[in-house]
Amino acid sequence: MTRVKLPPWLVLLLPAFIIIAAVVLVPLLLSLYSSFTPYHLTRPDTLWKVNFPFNYQKALTDANFWAAFGRTVLLLTVALNLEMLLGLGLALMVSKVTQGQRLLRTAMMFPMMFSPILVGFQFKFIFNDNVGLVNNALQSLGLADRAIPWLVDGNLALFAIICAEVWTSTSVFAILILAGLYAIPQDPLEAAKVDGCSPWQSFRFVTLPFLMPFIYIAMAIRSLDVARAYDIVQVMTNGGPARRTELLWTLIGRTGYVDARMGYANAMGYVAILLSIAFTVYFFLKLQRARRDLGMGD
Amino acid sequence: MARFASASVLAIVAAGSAAAQDQFAGTTIEAKLIGGQQYEALYSRIADWEAATGGKVSIISQKNHFELDKEYKADIAAGTVGWCVGSNHSSFASQYPTLFTDLTPLVPAETVGEFVPGNIAAATLDGRLVMLPRAQFDVSALYYQKSLYEDAGKAKAFAAKYGYDLAVPETWAQVRDQAEFFAAPPNFYGTQFAGKDEAIVGRFYELLVAEGGTFLNEDGSPAFNSPEGAKALQWFVDLYKAGAVPPGTTNYLWDDLGNGFASGTVALNLDWPGWSGFFNDPKSSKVAGNVGVAPAPKGGAGVRSGWSGFHGFSVTETCPDKEAAASLVAFLTNEDSQKLEAAAGPLPSRTAVWDHVIAQAKDDPYRSEVLAAFQETAATAFAVPPTPYWIEATNLVYPELQAAILGDKTAEQALADASDAVDELMQENGVY
Repeated sequence: MTRVKLPPWLVLLLPAFIIIAAVVLVPLLLSLYSSFTPYHLTRPDTLWKVNFPFNYQKALTDANFWAAFGRTVLLLTVALNLEMLLGLGLALMVSKVTQGQRLLRTAMMFPMMFSPILVGFQFKFIFNDNVGLVNNALQSLGLADRAIPWLVDGNLALFAIICAEVWTSTSVFAILILAGLYAIPQDPLEAAKVDGCSPWQSFRFVTLPFLMPFIYIAMAIRSLDVARAYDIVQVMTNGGPARRTELLWTLIGRTGYVDARMGYANAMGYVAILLSIAFTVYFFLKLQRARRDLGMGD
Repeated sequence: MARFASASVLAIVAAGSAAAQDQFAGTTIEAKLIGGQQYEALYSRIADWEAATGGKVSIISQKNHFELDKEYKADIAAGTVGWCVGSNHSSFASQYPTLFTDLTPLVPAETVGEFVPGNIAAATLDGRLVMLPRAQFDVSALYYQKSLYEDAGKAKAFAAKYGYDLAVPETWAQVRDQAEFFAAPPNFYGTQFAGKDEAIVGRFYELLVAEGGTFLNEDGSPAFNSPEGAKALQWFVDLYKAGAVPPGTTNYLWDDLGNGFASGTVALNLDWPGWSGFFNDPKSSKVAGNVGVAPAPKGGAGVRSGWSGFHGFSVTETCPDKEAAASLVAFLTNEDSQKLEAAAGPLPSRTAVWDHVIAQAKDDPYRSEVLAAFQETAATAFAVPPTPYWIEATNLVYPELQAAILGDKTAEQALADASDAVDELMQENGVY
């Protein structure tokens, strides 16, 4: 009897393969398969009936799904850009501080320490139309004479959600960009000063190109991580009212776990994955270009 | 001879009692029970059942019902249903057609007969008694600020404007008039309503029934897109348009409503019995001492609204010892158990316990008023339609109701869209 002898590299990598297969590949394949079925959590036998392409057709022809898709893209675009701009500003200001910078850096990270669900409750209260801080402040200052329905009006509700998201995540950008600022060599900046560049020109043509790889890394990380905002949206509006703040995450979450229609929810999830891939690939390509421009190679 | 006979009877009783004490010795019942302060006092009685039967109870999960609902669905999906007793709710029960067993052969008919018949009817799905109700019966009555009806100036102005005397409303049309009359936004509102999820659909459903409509036809197809449905939905639309309700009401759920009425900024509030103590407690409420409670108003068809629900306990189909599990369920819903729960405020689901709590409250005028209002409303209360797709249907209907309330669609358009969506859901699931 001969024993099968596996090559040493395979033996060494096997545990990693097995773990990745168990925790990533198998669930992924199972969810992909279930998206081809009318799988309903309370009726397990439905997992064995294939109805492809019904779920995909239903998702692709559903106006509510595409509205949620568009709104998610809008939220991602606005929130990520705002976070980047505010994070950049914050990092530039903190980098100029000579005393107490460590304290400031620590304070800057406080919002990251809050669970998103608590942030959701906090901002839901702040924007409450009846007892919320914003309306009370506006009415006390004489800037409004009626209760503004922050979480009811479609635009205002998205604004409120973006506020909560920006509050909690701007510091991620600030910290990464601050690290970039520390890594910038001083020679080109001094040369720019000698050549008579204004502070704006130094920033625009020297500092910013050096920071771009850091900004794109932060963008790529956040574009994957932004789905954590599900908790915030769930608590603040749960996609409502009248689907005005419905995002892919609330729609898919409700379909899968409340309605128990896991097959259809997974189909929507696979269409939505394209969105994440598109954003990540876009930022990755930008990152590569920025590194090439700096002569850092691919 | 007589002495011998009585000694024999004693011996039989003693033997019977010892047998009952060991009836379920060695049996452990695994239970998933609803958690939360309001529900957990009852679980102190589990030790009494253990002492009386020799059985043991192991609580393997204790969560709020929304979380339990998700856990049950995951259990069904994964086939991990070896536990025996689970908390259930009348609005959710129809979603688990295979999970819980029929209690009819396990519980004596006379025991079942001691419950309020309407509750037993709502706990019976497709002829199967899937749960026994505990003393956590919910139906809504109308809370109001009494001082508003004692103000002569207001009464005169109201009569001049609406042509009838200002009195605690008995119909939903009167609620609309009075809510519009009392409203002085942004500081004071006439009324409010739960504006999202199953809650708004439940409120719409009870107004629909009060107007003489039905939610689903016999075959399960949607029936709410009707003149009665349009009338019911228009009630919500009118109040929102008139500014008689807080502008954020479409995001409100039960806690927002309860706290809103307790803050003294709302005149009329249709709400659950669990809030009665909170509203009249000076520590939690600005309207304490000024709270009146009236039965739920009636709609255009002369029918009182009365969307109701209740908590209860069920036994799983796969439980290895159904008899012991059913014994536990019967014990936790018996007269003593219900008296214990009802003493803290919740409404009972046994006829005798209703009489008991009313007798207990005779020296407390507020509690008596609360009980009288809720008892009258409970008499004609009705549960949600017995379909496994109720929750899914409400998730399709509520965004459309909101769209009408916020003015994105007309009431007719919103109902037509909601009806199409529910129709598609039912057809997809092969209901017809």
